[in-house]
Amino acid sequence: MATTEVTSEIAGTVQSIEKHPGDEVAVDDVIVLLDCMKMEIPVVAPAPGRIAALHVKPGDILTEGQLVAVIER
Amino acid sequence: MTWQPEIDELKEREKLAQQMGGAEKIERQRKGGKLTVRERIDQLLDPGTFHEIGAIAGKAAYDADGKLSEFQPANFVMGRGRIDSRPVVVGGDDFTVRGGAMDAAIGSKQVFAEQMANELRLPIIRLIDGTGGGGSVKTLETDGRSYVPYNQGWDWVVDNLAKVPVVGLGLGSVAGLGSSRLVTSHYSVMVAGISQMFIAGPPLVAATGEIVTKEELGGADICARAGAVDDIVATEAEAFARARRFLSYLPSNVFELPPRGAIEDPADRRDDWLIQAIPRDRRKVYDMRKIVRSVVDTDSFFEFSRKYGGSAITGLARLDGWPVAVLASDPYHYGGGWTADASIKITRFIDFAHTFHLPVVNFVDVPGFLIGKQAESEGTIRHGARALAALYQASVPWCSVLVRRAFGVAGAAHTDHTKLHYRYAWPSGDWGSLPVEGGIEAAYRAELAAAADPAKLRGQIEERLNVFRSPFRTAEAFLVEEIIDPRDTRPLLCEFANLAAPLRQPGTVATSFRP
Repeated sequence: MATTEVTSEIAGTVQSIEKHPGDEVAVDDVIVLLDCMKMEIPVVAPAPGRIAALHVKPGDILTEGQLVAVIER
Repeated sequence: MTWQPEIDELKEREKLAQQMGGAEKIERQRKGGKLTVRERIDQLLDPGTFHEIGAIAGKAAYDADGKLSEFQPANFVMGRGRIDSRPVVVGGDDFTVRGGAMDAAIGSKQVFAEQMANELRLPIIRLIDGTGGGGSVKTLETDGRSYVPYNQGWDWVVDNLAKVPVVGLGLGSVAGLGSSRLVTSHYSVMVAGISQMFIAGPPLVAATGEIVTKEELGGADICARAGAVDDIVATEAEAFARARRFLSYLPSNVFELPPRGAIEDPADRRDDWLIQAIPRDRRKVYDMRKIVRSVVDTDSFFEFSRKYGGSAITGLARLDGWPVAVLASDPYHYGGGWTADASIKITRFIDFAHTFHLPVVNFVDVPGFLIGKQAESEGTIRHGARALAALYQASVPWCSVLVRRAFGVAGAAHTDHTKLHYRYAWPSGDWGSLPVEGGIEAAYRAELAAAADPAKLRGQIEERLNVFRSPFRTAEAFLVEEIIDPRDTRPLLCEFANLAAPLRQPGTVATSFRP
């Protein structure tokens, strides 16, 4: 089983969780929304599959490159 | 009496040079997933156009009769050739001969290639594999002495950045001088998996106590994210294709102008979806690349440096056939806010456009500089100030499209305000010294502190101020010159490209490009 780590390209505060563990995702599906520069900036799925793990929760302050989720396929 | 015997010897020596480091070393090169330097040159250039110079330079041994008994070619193959029928200089390291290191090099060959590009005013493509002619402690024994280092040919290498397009392709493990040669370019590419780049490789790094693999130290992804190289590709063929494409937008040298390409896409094409490209909700992001692709000539957008300074999108494109430099904001990355990295990327990009007389089209959605501890600790304001300096020093024609936001110092840097404001605003335009959402607390501190219900008052103030945000109020005062239907963007930018074309001035520029 191939796994893909989803990291945040930017620093920001987790505003909402759009996909949960077990959910199927396609490429570019929004997994979480970050609040940054007064905008909602999505962290998207780089690969299709199923969310195997989610490593953030609303309110978390992320740094650049932080692990957000793991996708399995 | 003819000179046939000498011609025969010449052919024999050329044949020996073709063997490079020998069958075993070539096999190792192939097993490493790499082409030989001669295959690389053939694939990069138009077929059959390579004219080699210095093929028979190398180290020879002679027998007792004075006949050539052994020959090891110098590990740098170079000459002239053509790309899309235009002449270029190409030089490549031969890793099969002593790993490309200096002890098997004839350093003056590299210098010759750089000087040839400079004096003949031709683009140069460097195919880098190994230390790029860098040092080896082996020379201590072979030379019986050490030396004070100097960077041979660097006068040409640096001057070439101001005169001719320079492309560096990382096609193997690249260290030291090789790394410097790769990045001292206008455009650099690494091939993932077969290419790593570092100042010194794992064995030297291990001496400092850091145990890492080549990939962990200088894998392509690390180098591209650090902004050390521009792009990553999966195969050598792709690297050659990208080098050729990059050069297609540029003049052969700064004394010429970027050549107009084919005019295949109607200048008056208007894509309908552009009217809904920007979400009405200011908090929502959108795909800026899709807008750029829609507006420029079909399939002409060539983005580079994507993995670095992501809030700025940089690339080349054509408008009605004319090559232009495209700068755009990416709201997905810090909302398009200028980070330290983005500022460095923008500085380099403006200098590049200025050097090669490429008119700039700037698609603007800049909420300002990134703010916060991270931004301050990265010295964002200094890097941003450098980008501003580059903007005010550039003299290329410039057109900005205010797609959405332009706030603060970074937003103001969408154009050099002292020049004619050649710009268009979309109805989604939103600008000011700072956004209402963030500025209320600072501007209405006393009122908010005194209020019984500060949140309610804050909401009321925001509502009151939002009324004044309409771009039409700005246009009333002629503080923005034109608000346009987004669908008219392409026709207007094609007009710009045609007006800009005769204004481009060939020659060197005062602010020379730095790597």
